[in-house]
Amino acid sequence: MDHWQVHGFSSLRIENWDGEFTVFQPESGKTHFLNEMGLQVLIMLGQSPVTLEGLCQKLSEYFTLLPDTQFPEQIARTLQRFEALGLIVRVKESA
Amino acid sequence: MIEFKTGLRAEHHRLLLEAIIQPASLIGYDNRQWELLLRLARRAQLSGYLAARLEREGLLDNIPIRAANLLRSGLIQARKQQQSVRWELNRVRWALDDSDMPVIVLKGMAYLLQDLPNAAGRMFADLDLLVSKENLRRVEAALLKKGWQHHALTDYDERYYREWSHEIPALVHPERSIEVDVHHTLSSPLGKLKIDPQSFREAAIEVKEAGCYVLSPEDMVLHCAVNLFQNNELADDLRHLVDFSELLLFFSNRQPLFRQKLIGRANQLGLGKPLFYGLYFSRLLLRSAIPDGLEKQLDRRPGRIAQCVMHYCVPLALLPQHPDYPARRAKYARMWLYWRSHWLRMPLYRLLPHLAYKFYLSVLPARTEISKQK
Amino acid sequence: MRAGQLSRDAFRVLLTGSGLRVKTGPFNLSIRTRLPQLIDQLYRMYAHYSLMGEAEIAEFHVRVISRCSIRRPFARLIQFEVDGRSPFPPVPAEQALATLEWGINLAIAMRINHLLLFHSAAVERNGHVLLLPAWPGSGKTTLCTALIHRGYRLFSDEFGLMDPQSGAFFPLPRLMPLKNRSIEVIRDYLPEAVLGPEIPGTLKGTVAHVRPPQESIRRTDETAQSRWIVFPKWSTGAALQLEPLPRSEAFLLLASNAFNYELLGETAFNAVTHLVRNCECRKLVYSDFDSVLAALDALTDMPADMN
Repeated sequence: MDHWQVHGFSSLRIENWDGEFTVFQPESGKTHFLNEMGLQVLIMLGQSPVTLEGLCQKLSEYFTLLPDTQFPEQIARTLQRFEALGLIVRVKESA
Repeated sequence: MIEFKTGLRAEHHRLLLEAIIQPASLIGYDNRQWELLLRLARRAQLSGYLAARLEREGLLDNIPIRAANLLRSGLIQARKQQQSVRWELNRVRWALDDSDMPVIVLKGMAYLLQDLPNAAGRMFADLDLLVSKENLRRVEAALLKKGWQHHALTDYDERYYREWSHEIPALVHPERSIEVDVHHTLSSPLGKLKIDPQSFREAAIEVKEAGCYVLSPEDMVLHCAVNLFQNNELADDLRHLVDFSELLLFFSNRQPLFRQKLIGRANQLGLGKPLFYGLYFSRLLLRSAIPDGLEKQLDRRPGRIAQCVMHYCVPLALLPQHPDYPARRAKYARMWLYWRSHWLRMPLYRLLPHLAYKFYLSVLPARTEISKQK
Repeated sequence: MRAGQLSRDAFRVLLTGSGLRVKTGPFNLSIRTRLPQLIDQLYRMYAHYSLMGEAEIAEFHVRVISRCSIRRPFARLIQFEVDGRSPFPPVPAEQALATLEWGINLAIAMRINHLLLFHSAAVERNGHVLLLPAWPGSGKTTLCTALIHRGYRLFSDEFGLMDPQSGAFFPLPRLMPLKNRSIEVIRDYLPEAVLGPEIPGTLKGTVAHVRPPQESIRRTDETAQSRWIVFPKWSTGAALQLEPLPRSEAFLLLASNAFNYELLGETAFNAVTHLVRNCECRKLVYSDFDSVLAALDALTDMPADMN
C-alpha cells in the first residue's frame, strides 16, 4: 500500500485565520487556502509517511469523527489533489 | 568605443550595447540616457538581465531610483518566470514518473539548471524539452493524462504542427500558465539544415538532482546559434546573442580547449554556418574575446555576398528600434530576415501558402471584432 | 509648475512635439498626441498635474495617434501606443481619452513590480488609508468619487500601491472613469465634481472621467499606512450594512484580485498577511450616499484599538 508524505514541510509558511489557513509553498510560489481538515492532513503527513488507511484513522481520532464509509474516499481525493499541487509525494515501498 | 562600418551608428544602439558589455559604465549615464536605455532594455527583454548584473556588482543602489525601480520590477518578473518554469519541470517529472523516458531540457531552463551566468534575470516563459521521436507520443499522452491540455488550435495550426513540422502543439496545464514545448528535433524537419537529434541526445549530460538531462556544453552553444540564426527571425533578439556570447565565454574559461572542441563538433554535425554567424556577431556587437581566425576553421561558412548582407541586416534586426524614431532601413532589414527564416525552415511549396494564410489572418480577425462591438 | 499654468498653445506644442511630461503619483508620464480634441480635453483634465523636472526620468511613454483602416476606410480611428507598441486595436476617435487612461493603467499594471498592486480604490482620512477593493458590483469608482468630495484624500480609484516592505501606500491620483448610470448619479449628488466629456460606445459602455481634486494631486508624495479595508457593494434600494468580514476572506479577495500578487511570491504573502492582520475588515452594502458617508466617517473616526 502506498504511503504519503509531505515534501519539505518545514519550508511551508502557514498562517492561521481563526481556523482557516493560508499556506505558502515556496517551491511553486503558490498560496493555498485550507480548512482545518486540509491542514491536519498536511501536518500528519509532515510527521512521517502514512497510508490512506492510517491517515483516516488518525484524522478520525483527532476530530473524533464517527465511522463513515465516504470519509476515506473524500480523503483519497484530497490526497490526489495535494499530490497534483506538489504538496505531498507518494512513497513507493511500504516503510 | 565600437566602430561600426555599417547600419549601426545610432546612439541608442551604442547605449544598449555599452550597458551589456560593461554594466559599470551605467553609473555615468545621465537621466536622459537612462530613460532611453530603460525603454530599449525593455523592448529587448533585457531589463532583468541588466538588473541581475548590476545587483551582482552591487550597483543597483547607485543608479537613479526610478531606473532602479524599473530594473527591479523586471528582475522580479524574471525570477517569477524562472520559478514557474522550474516548477513546471518539477510537475512534468512527476507526470512522467512511472516511465523511464529520458528528457533533455533545452534553452532557458537548461541555463538555469546549471546556474550559467546568462541565466540570472533572464526572461523566459516556456519549458522546452527534447525527447526521442519514439517517446514523443508517450510523453504527450502522459501529460494529457495528468491534466495538461493543448492550446485551442485552428485546424490549420494543428496541421501545421503535426503534419508539416512533425511536432506536437504546446501543452499547458490550466492551473498554470507555462507552455511546455516537447520537441523531437532541433530544427524544422522541412528545413534546409538537417540536424540529426540523435547525436545531441547521445552527448547529453545528466543533471542528477533535477532527474533530467541537458545538452553538452558544445551542443548547447551550437543549439543557441542554430536557434538564433536558423530558426528565428532575429527581430529584437539581441538577448539570444547575449546567451551565445555568455555561454561561449563561460565554457571557454572553464575548459582551455573548448573553442577547438566547439569547432570540431560544428564541423562534425555540419553546423558551421550558424556557428560562424554566432562568433562573428558576438565579436562585432558584444566585443566578445574570440580569436580572429577561429571561424576560418569551419568547413561550412556563408559565402561573401551572404556575409555582406547579414553584416548589414542582422544588427539592424537584433538591436531594438528607437522607440520614437523607428528607422525605415531597419524595417526592411527585418522584413528580409523574416523571409529568410521562413525560407530556411520550409520548402517554397509550403512557405508561400503558409505566409499567404498568415497574411490573410492578419486582415481577417478585425472583421469579427467589429461585428462583436456592434 | 502645473500643466494648467501653461498657455493652451505651449501645452499643445509639448503634446505634439517632445511630449507633455507630467508627474502622477510615484510615476512620471510622457504623453504625445496630435489629436486636437484630445489636446483640449487634456488641457482641462490634466490641469492640476505638475510638470516633471527637465532632467527627470519618465517611466511611461505613451502616444495616441490617428489610424486609417483598410476595413473601415471612412471611420476616424485612433490607436494607443506605449513605447511604440499597441496593446489595443484601434477605436473610434471619440474614445481617445478613455483609451489613453486605460492604456496608462495597463502599462502600470504590466510593468510595476517593486510595489504590490492591489486592484482597489484607496482614499485617506485622519492620516490612514481606507482601501475599497474591487469585486463584482462594487462600484468602487462611484463611491470613491463621493468620498473624495467629502473630505477624503484621493489615492487612487484603481490601484492600491503598497510598498511590501514598509507597508506604506502611495497616492496615484488619476482620472476616474464613471460608467453608465454612475455618471448621472454623481452629477446629481456632486454638482461640484469636474467631469470630462461623456464618451459613449466603449467596451464598458458610456464613460465620463472625474478630475481628481487639486489638493489630492498637490499632496501626491504623502504616503500613509492602511487601517481599514471595506469591500463595497452597491445594491438598489438596500438598507445600509457595514459588517465585519472574516480576515481569511479579506486575504483571499485581496490576493486574488491583486495585479501582481503571484508575481511577488513570498514577499506578497507576507505583505498581505501583515496588512490584513493590521486592518479592520468590513463588507459594505449601500444604496445611498448620505448613509454610506456617515457610516464610513464613523468607521474612520474610530480609535485605533477598536475592532
